[in-house]
This record gives sequence, structure tokens and C-alpha cells, in this order.
Amino acid sequence: MEGIRKIIHVDMDAFYASVEQMDFPELKGKPVAVGGNMERGVVAAASYEARKFGVRSAMSGKMAALKCPQLIFVKPRFDRYKEISGQIREIFFEYTDLVEPLSLDEAFLDVTENKVNNPSATLIAQEIRDRIKKEVGLNASAGISYNKFLAKTASDLNKPNGQALILPKDAHDFLEKLPIERFFGIGKVTADKMKQLGIHNGRDLKEFSLQFLTKRFGKSGLHFFNIVRGIHLSEVQPNRIRKSLSAENTFEKDLSKESEWEEELAKIFEELTRRIERTGIKGRTVTLKIKYSDFTIQTRSKSYEQYPEMEVIWETAMELLQQEELKGSVRLLGLGLSNLNLTEEKTLFGKQLWLDFDPLSE
Amino acid sequence: MKFIVSSSALLKQLSSINGVVTTNPVVPILENFLFEIKDGKLTITASDLQTSMITELDVESKEDGNIAVPAKILMETLKNLPEQPVTFSIDPDTYSIEISSDNGRYKLAGENATDFPKIPSVTNATTVEMSTEVLTSAISNTIFATSNDELRPAMTGVYINLSPTNATFVATDGHRLIRYRRVDIAAPDAASIIIPRKALNLLKSTLPSENLPVTVEFNNSNAYFNFNNIKMICRLIDERFPDYENVIPVDNPNHMTIDRIEFLSSLKRIAIYANKTTHQVRLKLTGSELQVSAEDLDFSNEANERLSCEHNGDDIEIGFNAKFLVEMLNNISSKEVTLKFSAPNRAGLIVPSDKSDNEDILMLVMPVMLNNYV
Repeated sequence: MEGIRKIIHVDMDAFYASVEQMDFPELKGKPVAVGGNMERGVVAAASYEARKFGVRSAMSGKMAALKCPQLIFVKPRFDRYKEISGQIREIFFEYTDLVEPLSLDEAFLDVTENKVNNPSATLIAQEIRDRIKKEVGLNASAGISYNKFLAKTASDLNKPNGQALILPKDAHDFLEKLPIERFFGIGKVTADKMKQLGIHNGRDLKEFSLQFLTKRFGKSGLHFFNIVRGIHLSEVQPNRIRKSLSAENTFEKDLSKESEWEEELAKIFEELTRRIERTGIKGRTVTLKIKYSDFTIQTRSKSYEQYPEMEVIWETAMELLQQEELKGSVRLLGLGLSNLNLTEEKTLFGKQLWLDFDPLSE
Repeated sequence: MKFIVSSSALLKQLSSINGVVTTNPVVPILENFLFEIKDGKLTITASDLQTSMITELDVESKEDGNIAVPAKILMETLKNLPEQPVTFSIDPDTYSIEISSDNGRYKLAGENATDFPKIPSVTNATTVEMSTEVLTSAISNTIFATSNDELRPAMTGVYINLSPTNATFVATDGHRLIRYRRVDIAAPDAASIIIPRKALNLLKSTLPSENLPVTVEFNNSNAYFNFNNIKMICRLIDERFPDYENVIPVDNPNHMTIDRIEFLSSLKRIAIYANKTTHQVRLKLTGSELQVSAEDLDFSNEANERLSCEHNGDDIEIGFNAKFLVEMLNNISSKEVTLKFSAPNRAGLIVPSDKSDNEDILMLVMPVMLNNYV
């Protein structure tokens, strides 16, 4: 793609919780947590009223209830969220076909060339947000810039119900001031490592050479080097649909005992459980990934005809682990799901029907 | 302990039960055959804990004794020996086994026979008699439709329902269902069991081709099959089988009768052009013409054939998985078959047009959708 692109990142405000408040007006103005409950589970989304108390998504239900005793827990209704997400996407498609959904509640739009012939990405973003409010009834925030990373970062600036623009000429100043953990692709673990190196913001990161960063962070080094200079060439990929959901962990020191593997796998499973609860994703194939200290990678998987319950996923993970002969010490373990309910055909055409035995009917 | 046995006689008996032995058993001792000698009779047991098979043969032996013999190495040895009497000498202290033949000596490490799991014996059993021919036919007519889905354990076996007037064998994987009924098998009291697929596969490959009587005994937890001098014991699947009668449609206005072989050959050709994931073929009935077609849009493949048939009912278009249809038609022996449908999203029925006296077979298959609407 030539020239400067115009990318909009649209992010729904407290999406799941807002849908609940819209559908059940008695929840309006109240602290609401979707997912989890007082005893267990994790919060998938929290309303802004709940966030004032410090309730955050991915927080345990117990912790959330502690922070906000009057918190109302509601069960997630993913089908409903999907339906609304579809309505929002329809609006996007009226402006451009280059729509890359990141999840049910956020998406990138490339409006460099758009169907409404509006040269201003800012005005398009405003119009899209107005239409989402009017036609769907929910608030959205938007970020506008010349690449995906900056657009995504921008959508957070005036959240909720606002939008922000990062112009190419302002990008460098902006990035220099940006705290390191806010950079795209820098998670908590990487951010901690960077802080140990004295990198706290973009300016600090810029000090380091590409050579140093690649040595320290491997392939991601180049990404970090580019991103802090406002270079992020990734295109808006309209067909990007999540194909797998996984969690993995690289250990501080390699594990050689089987008992340690199980312990670590249990932690990874917990993280996977959190991700599953947050996204509502189901998958028919369970895959165990093992990276040995010599960097050889081994994967093993098992598929089911129906989406397995969490309990079965755990049993399968253990089964796959026990099948493995110990090939030396282990550097990384990962657990993932594929053949997801998102990628399954949504159309009926070509669908093999099931016999409707009660109570096995779907 | 020492015994002498014909190499080929022993191999023959071992081969008939060797299928039970798994390569990676739950307990390592199950990689062995259990040899038990008593009064000149050698009893051999193989087991995977779920299924066990026992056979016996006469040997020349002065003393009684037991030993567990590694199955794979013994089988290989016997397969490669010319027919001759071979002598087994067992050291009861070290469990070492020496086989001597005209060709030479072979020494292998056995295991303590007492470590071999105990095989459950028959208690409070119901007994049914049938012939190997009937049992073989019941198994081969149903087993292909069982499910591999471990999350639906009841469907990973064949359901057998016995009544005073008949016996019904049912298998389903949720997409298709086979009901095979015999009026020449019956039990005084009604009973039903689910036999795991592995046990039935073993039976199928072990049952002799000549027609012999088979005694089937079962209680709440196990079933026992007795034929020739082979015994098979298997653990039953302790689950509720789905209410299969509920899903058999009774109201099917469309009846099509067609030559089985013609239809089968056509499907096999058309299936080559079908989508490799769905294996979808389209059956279009217009008057007394059946159009069989398939297309795979990804590769621009398509195929189309016209067959004549007898058809009663309105014109209809319905899609099915070709592999399912082929498998089902292969398991029917009559010259003509009748297919019964009602709608493109309702189960289709396949029955042989001419029935034999003692058996009644009904096959059910769910369609593959041709449209995006129901």
C-alpha cells in the first residue's frame, strides 16, 4: 500500500456490561459485572459504574465483590453480544470492506479509500459512533491514525464515548511519552523486563539499537524498534478470524520434573480458563505444546466431535502430557483450543444434521 | 515347569486372541499372554482390562504351573518357525522361558503369572444362544455406525435389546442410526446391554466362518461369548442408550425404490466430485427420475448422473453425506432398496425392498443441508 493510510480503531465502551444495561434497564447506572460470581469465575466485563470501584475485567469474582460489595453479577449472553456485534459490523461495512474484527467489541477499519467518499477519517469515525449510538443504542470510542497500533492506542485516549486523532507529525512526541506497557505487543512480562533495563517509556526505548533489542527480545526486537518510531506496517486484514485460543508460559528456569510440569500446566489451564470465560469461545481440538530446552517443539492434540467442557479440556491436557516421554527439560508449556465455534460454518448449507435424541439435542 | 506343544497349533490359538493385546497397555503385564497349565491342558488369556479372551489347547506336560509370556516376541517366534513340536521350559524362580525347537533355542523373560489381572467370572447371568452366522451378521450390520466420540460413551458401542420375541441391535453416531432386528434370537426376560466397539471388532475377526453355536451370557457388568474353545469377556458400557425409537420418522410421504448396485455405483462415482469435508451429494427426485449430483465449488468440480427409479410422492431435493450412503448400501444385500423421505432437513430411511424371514433392517441417515434455510 502506497502513501499514508487512514486507520480507525473502534472500541465499544464496556461492551458486554453496556449490552446488559441496555437490555435490562433496571441495571442502568448500577455497578454491573458480566461473568463470574461471588465465589468463583472471572469478570469478563465491568460497567463504568463498577470500574469506579476498581473492578476490572479478568479480575476474580471474589476480588470484584470485595472491591464493590453492591456489584451485580450477570451471566454472559454471548449469543446476544454476537448479534449486536454483527449489527455494528454491518455499519462498518457501509464505509469500507477493509474491516478487521479483533473481538466482538473492537475492530480496525481502513478508510483510506472508503465507500462514502469522505476524505476525513475523523468525520467518518464521528459518524460511525453516532450511528452505533442511534441504531444500536451503545457508546463507542474511536482512535484514528496512520497505522493500526497508533489507532488502537488513540481509541483509549478519550474513552469512554470519545475519539482521538494521532497525526503523523504528532506521533513521535506522543510515542516518546507513552508508557512502555501501553505499546502494542508489549505485555506485562515484557514490560517488566524492559523496566529492568530502565525502559519506562517510548523515549527510553528509542535509545536502544536494533541489534541490542533483537539480541534481548528475539524476533520481537524488530517490532519494538519499529513501533516506537511509529512504523507498524500490518495491514487491516478483513478476513482475520481467530483460529485458536491458547495460553502458554516460558519458565524462568527449565523444568525437568514431571510433577513441576503438572503444576505449571495447571496454572496455564487457569489462564486459558480465564480467556475462555472472557471470550465465550469454544473449541473442539485441545492442543498441548511443549518446547524443550534445546528449542525443539512438540505438539500433541486431541479432537472431539462436540465442544468439550472445561473439565474435559483439563483431563485431555493431562492425558496429552502423560503421553509424552520426557525428552529432557522443558522450557515452555502451552495449552490451546482450535476448531473454534467462531470459525465453524455459520451457514446451514453443507451442514451435516444431527439426530434429535432428547436430551442430546443441540 | 516344562511342556511340549505343536508350534502351529499354539500359533493358531494365540492368533485368535492376540487382537486383545494392546501395544501400550495400562499395566505393562498386559503385554503378556497368561499361560496356565493344569492336567495337560494349557489355558491362554489375553486382556486389556476392558476385554479379555481365553482359549485352551492340549499340551504334553507332567506338571502344572503358570507363567506370563511376552505376547509380541512369542507370536513373532512362532510365526517364523516351521511346524514342529516345541518345548517350553520355565524357571519358576526367575520366570525365564526357554523355547527349544529343531532349529535352536530362544530365551525370553517372562513375568510372574500372579501379577496378571483376574478375569471376572460369570455370575447371575442371563443366557442367550445364537449362531456365529447370526452374530457376525448383527455385528457387521451395525458396528460401522457406532460413534468415536468419547463424550457420548453410550454411542461408542452397539446396543442390544432382548425380548421374548426378538433381539434388536442398534448403533448410532448421531448422524445415522442402524436398527437390526432378528426374530430367531430371543430371551425369556427382556434385557438390554451396550457392548463396546472394540470387543465387537475382536469378535468379528475371531468368529469362525463355519456356522457354530455361540453362547452369550451377560449380567449387569460383563458379557461373555463362548464359541469353539474360545471365550471372550467384555465390560459393558454402563450408560443409557439414546431413545432411538423416537428419532425414527413414521410419516414419510416420499418412497423411492431403486436398484441397489446401480445406485451404489453412481454414488461412488459422484462422491469423487463432492466437497471433501461434507461429502455432500444431492438427490433430486422428479417423477420417476433420480438425479445424483455433487459439486465442489473450491475446485470447480461437479458431476451429475440420472437414474431411473420408482417414486411415489412429490418431487423433492435432499442432500446426504455420500460416504454414509455408500457404507449403508454396502451393508444391505437385497437387489433393490427403498428410500423414504419427508423433507430436506428430516432423516431419510433406507430399507431393503425384499426382506429375509428372520431379519429386519432399518437404516436412518440425517441429511446435509442444501440450503441456508430450513
